[in-house]
Amino acid sequence: MAVQSMTTKRQPSRWEKFWNTASIVFESRVATVGMSIVLFWVLVAFISLFWTPYDPNASNFTQNLGPNTTNLLGTDHLGRDILSRLMQGTQVILLKTRLPGSDISIPGGVAIWGVLGSLSLGTLLGLNAGYRGGWWDQIIMQVLDALIAFPRIVLYLVVIAALGQGDLVVILAITITGAPGVARLVRSLALDIKTRDYIRAAETRGESVWYIMFREILPNARGPLLVDGMLRVGYAIFAIGTLGFLGIGLPPPDPDWGNMVNEARRNIFANQLAVIWPAVAIASLVIGLNLFADGLREELTRYQK
Amino acid sequence: MSELVKAPPVLTLEDVAIAYKIRGGEIEAVQNVSFEINRGETHGIVGESGCGKSTVAWAIVNFLGANGYVKRGSIKFQGQELVGVTGEELRRLRGDQIAMVYQDPMQALNPSMRLGDQMSEVLTVHRGMEQKEAEARCIEMLERVYMPDAANVMRRYPHQISGGQQQRVVIATALLNNPALLIMDEPTTALDVTVEAAVLDLIAELRRDFDTAIMYITHNLGVVARVSTRVGVMYAGEMVERGTVEQIYEAPQHPYTQGLLRCVPKLGSDKVSSMLYPIRGRVPPPNNRPTGCIYGPRCDYVQDRCRNERPKLRQLPNGLWVRCHFAEDINPGEWTPSEDIAPPVVGIRDLNAEPILKVNNLKKYYEVKGTQLKDVLGLGEKRYVKAVEDASFKIPEGTTLGVVGESGCGKSTLIKTLIGLEDTTEGEARFLGFDITGPISERDQSLIQELQMVFQNPDSTMNPSYTVGQQIARPMQLFRTVPKAEIRAEVIKLLNSMRLGANYYDRLPRQLSGGEKQRVGIARALASHPDLVLCDEPVSALDVSVQAAILNLLLEIQQEFNTTMVFIAHDLSVVRFFSDQVAVMYLGQIMEIGPAEAIYTPPYHPYSEALLSAVPIPDPTVQQKHIRLEGSVPSAIDPPSGCRFHTRCPRRKLLPDDGQICVTDTPPWREAADGHRIFCHIPLETLRSFDPVISQEVS
Amino acid sequence: MARFIIRSIISTIITMLLVSIALFFLIEVGSGDISVKILGVFATPEQRASYRAQLGLDAPAWQRYVDWLIGNDWRAERKVGYPLVTATNPQTGEQGWWADVDGQLTRWKMEEGQLLTLKRQDDGSSTAHLSSGGWEVNEEGQEVFWGVDTKNNAVQWMRGEGAEVWVLTKAGLRKEGDGPQVYIPLRKGLLRGDPGISLQFGRPVAVTLVPRIRNTLVLAGVAFTIIMPLALFLGILAGINEGKPLDRIISITSLGFTATPEFVTGIFLIIIFGIWLKVLPAVAIFTSPNAIFEDPTLLALPVLTLTAVELGYVARMTRASMVEVMDSPYIRTAIIKGMPKWRVVTKHAIRNALMAPITIIMLHVNWLIGGLVVVEVIFGYPGLGYYIYRSAIFGDYNAIEAAAMVTVAIAILTRLIGDLAYTLLNPRIRYA
Repeated sequence: MAVQSMTTKRQPSRWEKFWNTASIVFESRVATVGMSIVLFWVLVAFISLFWTPYDPNASNFTQNLGPNTTNLLGTDHLGRDILSRLMQGTQVILLKTRLPGSDISIPGGVAIWGVLGSLSLGTLLGLNAGYRGGWWDQIIMQVLDALIAFPRIVLYLVVIAALGQGDLVVILAITITGAPGVARLVRSLALDIKTRDYIRAAETRGESVWYIMFREILPNARGPLLVDGMLRVGYAIFAIGTLGFLGIGLPPPDPDWGNMVNEARRNIFANQLAVIWPAVAIASLVIGLNLFADGLREELTRYQK
Repeated sequence: MSELVKAPPVLTLEDVAIAYKIRGGEIEAVQNVSFEINRGETHGIVGESGCGKSTVAWAIVNFLGANGYVKRGSIKFQGQELVGVTGEELRRLRGDQIAMVYQDPMQALNPSMRLGDQMSEVLTVHRGMEQKEAEARCIEMLERVYMPDAANVMRRYPHQISGGQQQRVVIATALLNNPALLIMDEPTTALDVTVEAAVLDLIAELRRDFDTAIMYITHNLGVVARVSTRVGVMYAGEMVERGTVEQIYEAPQHPYTQGLLRCVPKLGSDKVSSMLYPIRGRVPPPNNRPTGCIYGPRCDYVQDRCRNERPKLRQLPNGLWVRCHFAEDINPGEWTPSEDIAPPVVGIRDLNAEPILKVNNLKKYYEVKGTQLKDVLGLGEKRYVKAVEDASFKIPEGTTLGVVGESGCGKSTLIKTLIGLEDTTEGEARFLGFDITGPISERDQSLIQELQMVFQNPDSTMNPSYTVGQQIARPMQLFRTVPKAEIRAEVIKLLNSMRLGANYYDRLPRQLSGGEKQRVGIARALASHPDLVLCDEPVSALDVSVQAAILNLLLEIQQEFNTTMVFIAHDLSVVRFFSDQVAVMYLGQIMEIGPAEAIYTPPYHPYSEALLSAVPIPDPTVQQKHIRLEGSVPSAIDPPSGCRFHTRCPRRKLLPDDGQICVTDTPPWREAADGHRIFCHIPLETLRSFDPVISQEVS
Repeated sequence: MARFIIRSIISTIITMLLVSIALFFLIEVGSGDISVKILGVFATPEQRASYRAQLGLDAPAWQRYVDWLIGNDWRAERKVGYPLVTATNPQTGEQGWWADVDGQLTRWKMEEGQLLTLKRQDDGSSTAHLSSGGWEVNEEGQEVFWGVDTKNNAVQWMRGEGAEVWVLTKAGLRKEGDGPQVYIPLRKGLLRGDPGISLQFGRPVAVTLVPRIRNTLVLAGVAFTIIMPLALFLGILAGINEGKPLDRIISITSLGFTATPEFVTGIFLIIIFGIWLKVLPAVAIFTSPNAIFEDPTLLALPVLTLTAVELGYVARMTRASMVEVMDSPYIRTAIIKGMPKWRVVTKHAIRNALMAPITIIMLHVNWLIGGLVVVEVIFGYPGLGYYIYRSAIFGDYNAIEAAAMVTVAIAILTRLIGDLAYTLLNPRIRYA
């Protein structure tokens, strides 16, 4: 019965905790604006799963139309509806990852999986480097330094030159390029946290290294990791857009924002709007995530003070 | 007050209230503070953390940050109103007429500027002095604060000199323009006790010579007794009592001041013959203060009037100012502790009991990497920090070994080695008959659970991500000392014996006060019922009223479970009070070890003598011998040859050839009495002939 | 300090080595069969195998890595038995490999089963003679000969059994008899300045790469000199006005620009300045490799794009550092000492505030290079970034490897400079 009463008592407190955390966002105007932009696109993504005005890949209209009542954002150089393409384009970023060689998609967009990948890999490396120190630190940091030395886009190009195009390749590229940054962050947090007495307490209890890293240190790093993760989703979308623009990003048939810009810019003298819409879409989503993360970080540090 | 006032006070505060704007309102951090400071006087402001004493200091220099402001009252400096003064006028006062010295000198100095530039700019900016002249004046001032090699220090960066020297630089800078008012905010708190003593001497001397008015803020009742002429006691943002230092320490009239003085052990008192009485409850947060007397909820004499009416600071016939309705009616002599704060009665511990821990010639060396090119390439000679050298002692079951020494003396390394966080370089350590020289990973679980540790910092002793219950339950789950189903009940039982209710089970550390966190830390250490508990400065980060409660709790535990303890502290009074045996360490070496009472009376090791003479004692009537150590602690890499203390030993000249033997030979262990050993070349007879460091003035 | 510097240098060397390994194996091992890309999908397996052998791709990966890094002439020398040297072909200006047979530069050629010795004349041409000997008997009892062929390979011929090889010419694959059994395509290796032949251009990578690097350095250099002072100034300005409207404006604007991908910024700038206002060329048209020196307006939009993206980042880093410093106890000390505000900022704050960002800014140079790739692609700027992009699309592995190593070297060297600058700025390390 004691257990029963414990769980019933803790349920609201967890909900409360969530609300307390969530309300931090509204304390900051910057974070609120950022979150609104992000939520707008998430909403668009979900709507596009069920409905878009037209088939995003069908050339049903006159080419290079300006905005009008039929095509709210106009049409592109192949006569496709830009609004439908923009809406559909959110899916691969945020909601689904297409597995190669089949029609199956798994939930979670390329940006999301890529960031989860770099968070996991980076956390694993950073904890080991930071907590164990010594040779572990030397070797891990040396390898990460080598990875960081690659200009990001060059690394993307190399990975894609080596492995070809595809959703999973982009996820891998985002993971590899993001992991060193996460690892450095986690390492510095671990270096700080490991000086705390509760880590000594765990050591004097004879806890295993893995317990200390994942149960004692990691939970206390989640705040900065959350903010970092959010920023990284921004970077990932940034990167996906850039790869798309370079013509080596997410493969068809789904429209890719970066590639929309790339294709439309060939007609840039005839139709500037077809370039501007997807460009604005990418920029707004990335800026939204940045504002959100930035405001949240500021509030979290103030909250800790 | 019958005295004729010749000059107006340098600083007068009248009814000052300081508020901080926060979201949705503001908080009055300080209320109704009034006091004045005259030329050539040191006015102490004493109080526990969060009582607003530093806020008052910042208000005087109008540095309250963007959201703080003086809400009411007036602050007059030499007749000029300071409240509302801003801009150029304020800037001219700061650093010229009003100077300030605060805590951590390392933080206060700019890390990337030469000390000379940081000092001389005070003169060049305020006085328009030429650089050359300013530098000469700075060197003069550095020599005035007894800075060795002053001209050279001018060219150095802060990290290149020691903490005590840094504080001397800060003080010298403050005095350069001969300010009328010098505000010192905990200037010695970050320093070791022997360094602190020297800095306090310096402050007293400078006050006399410069005729400056000094406002001295500290939490340390001993320090304030040593430096002040008058003292104000602050509690929860109010000044509750103010008077001369003698009045405050001999006949305090406010129940809070009385309570504070009952919380600190007198140097030389022990747990058997004396008791500490903590103050119940905790300081109310600024946004939730009672409407009546702010001390009411914690006061033993509280009455209805106290609950409804905020007392005013009023002057008693003897000149003492006190903020209490019933000050005249209270007789501290008749005070008896109430049930909830009653300290445990402790019997004499048997030092002849079977030793639970035996340590023999234990050594702990760390390899250090040199900075020379050949060191980087691994060609240089290996060098070691000799953190612990030849430590030998035994701890009988159920007793406490206290270890004292200044920072860097190796006391923390010693217990880290014992518990297995560090492995032993050489020597023998047996706990319950088992070898414990290896790291913790090589120990059996049943051995680990018998040897646990209590930590220093209450803010980091608990993992912020887990509830109190989860953290205390963890050792029980790990060591399987308690069946799963009973863990919760067992944790609550343990919480209760820490005087924390069952409702603490689900709380997170951030919801607890410092003292409560420390209690949970102790509960966690006790969860596996260890035989030996190593306490690493468990009370040094706590306020005195909380410190007393924690010390009592530890005593109670020892009484109940017959737990053996190693107790590390830098506060000699606390160690004396708490321990049965005491070891004094210096630079990795135990200098003296023996029964607690033997350490604090002659024969002393010369270092113990110097330490005792440096301790600030919260009693202005106590006379202390004046022994000050010269220089600073040498590096533990290649420590001095012979006796490690020889470079600073004030007693060395008692030996022939000015103690040449101390430089060349390792001293012998001299057995002064049963179990009392002194590591010194000076013969016991000479050591015995020293006068006691501390003597009470007959009042 | 010596310790710190030596550590940085050692670490830099190890890092470069690791990067080269990662790069090489990722591209060479991961990228599959290059012959498909070059010969097309209709080539037969024998054609592919022959082509791969000519490129030396039949050797094990580790062997190719060593060849790539430090060359293989020293290895081939042992087989050929003569020192191998390079000589410039006066017609093309390119380097060719020769065996130094007792002072006479020599190559060999198999024609209709006959081994010919080609002796190099001073004018670069060569005279053919019937080869007199030099055949050795290998373990299997076959007569073999190691020499240098006319296509800069060390090769092994077998007497009487000229292999059939497929040679790629401008007209396509051509079958030739009299081919060698084993190829070692001679190269000096990356460390000795020879990154190999570009598959795309058929010329040595080094020749095509150098002008690209120069163009990029001009672009990056101009951008860097605009960005740095401006960004540091804005960052410091925002930092000392923390929380005030000026800070808000600078912070939010920089965040906006930083978070906007380069291609978006670039496209917008093209639309605004090139199409709507028509004041700057919308697309950089490079009529000659030296076009940027002849018409500097070509640089305007690329530089502006880079500036927009990088400026915000550096400004934000500087601001954060400045805010932290202005909040520190020693700044409080300076203020309480009665120092005027400008003095507090210039004498006490700036030096400390610049210490942290300098290393981060230098780390960020590789981000700048990443930006360069995109900017160069947008504007068709013939620089290193565009080169990498084209090579990556083509699968020109020698070219990507070399170009990527150059970018990495730039990134690592700037990081090293950042570390050294930090050491010099920070007395705590300088006087440790």
